Amino acid sequence: MKKIGSAFAYYLGVTMCNIKMALLTIVEYPSNILGWVISNPIQFLLGFATIKFVVEQFGGINGWSYGQLAFLYGISVLSHAFSMIFFVQGWFMGFFVIEGEFDRFLTRPLSVLYQFFFTNINVFGFTDLIPGILVFLYGCAKTGFSFTASNMVGIMALLIGATLIRGGIYILLGTTSFWTKSANDFGQFVQEIFDKTTMYPLSMYPEAMQLILTFLIPIGWVSFYPVSELMGIETAFSAGGMGVWITLGVGIVTMIAAGLVFRIGLRRYESAGN
Amino acid sequence: MITVRDLYKEYRVTERGRGLGGTLKALFKQEEKIIKAVNGLDFYVGKGEIVGFIGPNGSGKSTTIKMMTGILAPTSGEVLIDGRNITRYRKEAVRDIGVVFGQRTQLNWDLRLEESFELLRHIYRIEKKDYRETLEVMDSILGVGELLNKPVRQMSLGQRVKGDLTAAMLHSPKVLFLDEPTIGLDVGSKYALRKFIKEINAIKGTTVILTTHDLGDIQELCERLIIINGGVMMEDGNLSEIVERIAPYRTLAVEYYDAVVPEHAKAEILSVSDNVVRYKFMKADMTAAELIRDLSELYPIKDVGIEEAGIDDIIRIAYEMKK
Repeated sequence: MKKIGSAFAYYLGVTMCNIKMALLTIVEYPSNILGWVISNPIQFLLGFATIKFVVEQFGGINGWSYGQLAFLYGISVLSHAFSMIFFVQGWFMGFFVIEGEFDRFLTRPLSVLYQFFFTNINVFGFTDLIPGILVFLYGCAKTGFSFTASNMVGIMALLIGATLIRGGIYILLGTTSFWTKSANDFGQFVQEIFDKTTMYPLSMYPEAMQLILTFLIPIGWVSFYPVSELMGIETAFSAGGMGVWITLGVGIVTMIAAGLVFRIGLRRYESAGN
Repeated sequence: MITVRDLYKEYRVTERGRGLGGTLKALFKQEEKIIKAVNGLDFYVGKGEIVGFIGPNGSGKSTTIKMMTGILAPTSGEVLIDGRNITRYRKEAVRDIGVVFGQRTQLNWDLRLEESFELLRHIYRIEKKDYRETLEVMDSILGVGELLNKPVRQMSLGQRVKGDLTAAMLHSPKVLFLDEPTIGLDVGSKYALRKFIKEINAIKGTTVILTTHDLGDIQELCERLIIINGGVMMEDGNLSEIVERIAPYRTLAVEYYDAVVPEHAKAEILSVSDNVVRYKFMKADMTAAELIRDLSELYPIKDVGIEEAGIDDIIRIAYEMKK
């Protein structure tokens, strides 16, 4: 236990140093940040405006009210934002594999995956948090979701789990580069899929697709199932009041699986010729 | 300090035919070819040694260094750093090594040099006191103190290499791996780098493994030379002994007063230009003094010069030798 504690303190110390360096890098290039702060929130707020339009025209989507949709959209954008902060590097793993960029991580006494994500921690990701928080709070107000202690803990478990599911999937996709030896940039493509499947109720898609997105690729657990339960909407699967905890569990399992596959992939790492 | 035992590394390369046809064919059937980059290496490096690790491009030299530093996993065999298997116990074993790859940097391009050092201080859990001491030593050898506040992107190559060397030494590793460290450096920076290697070896007893194409580096720094080609060991031993064995000859240049070309039974004439004749002779056959005496009996000699077989001869010959 003491050993785990000291390991945690060690990684925390290194992480703080990495965050400090990331912030200092932003200060070096101040003009970049303005673009992000403006463009990122606008993108998501426009997306949300589209939902508002659809709901007003048709009176709801698949039995979801406007407020409930806002809640779902908010959770989706928030988990997206956290995954952008901590795991966006996964999108570029192929580049690291092909260019031999893992070399320097391998010669340091830290987990390679940890270094991969935290050496270039993306503090810009917080610009995605802004629209997420706005829409989420709006949804809470509309649906009367109260901030009791148990609800707060539940939301935290949900967001951690959802972020881990996203991150785990980024890693699993990125890790394929160890086998294909090519630097596929799948970022935009994954973002598209996640947006379309986590911002709106999954129940509006054909059943076969729902099954895939529940069991094969656990995207349904990012937002749809736990939020349905919190909103009191019935779905094909009853989580028995444990929805948010199942999401957390699925997130942890996805991340562990991703870590294991990454380790296998890393043994095939070939660096880059000089 | 370093044990390399029965080390092999194979790569699988998929072969693809030319043009569209080849690409389409590759979709259905991939022909795999196995390339043996390192083909059974065994050697030991003791504490405090400076070893020159050389071989032509594609010899398996870089692959070997990358297996020794934990970057690549061997296909079979093992590398032990101070008794620890670096593949299995990577995180522990890499604490004992420092790595500088000439063409790459571990420094943060955008930030002041000291920020990169600060991160390494956290990563290797270096006490502030030890950190300052090491930095002082490195400053006295390399003059790195004046660079601490400079953003890495504004540095010259020579300055950046100094930064990388310091970064690699912050945690006082037992072994320092330098892969082509002098590539692209000017004379002054090369001199500083060689001085650095000698001094950390003397002061801290650091073991140094050095790959280079620069003969000056080897001549000035390495007592021991490992030559590898085709993934196998060609030579491993004392630099001067290897020279003695591979190239046991000398060259004598004799300048005469007239344009004459006297011959000698035990010497081969390499070249003749104006009044200068260059003779190649085996050290075992006779001494230079004997050759000069014999030749001077034939014609009067104005001047002589003796050339030892150079390290470049050795490397050329070793590279040409087939297994």
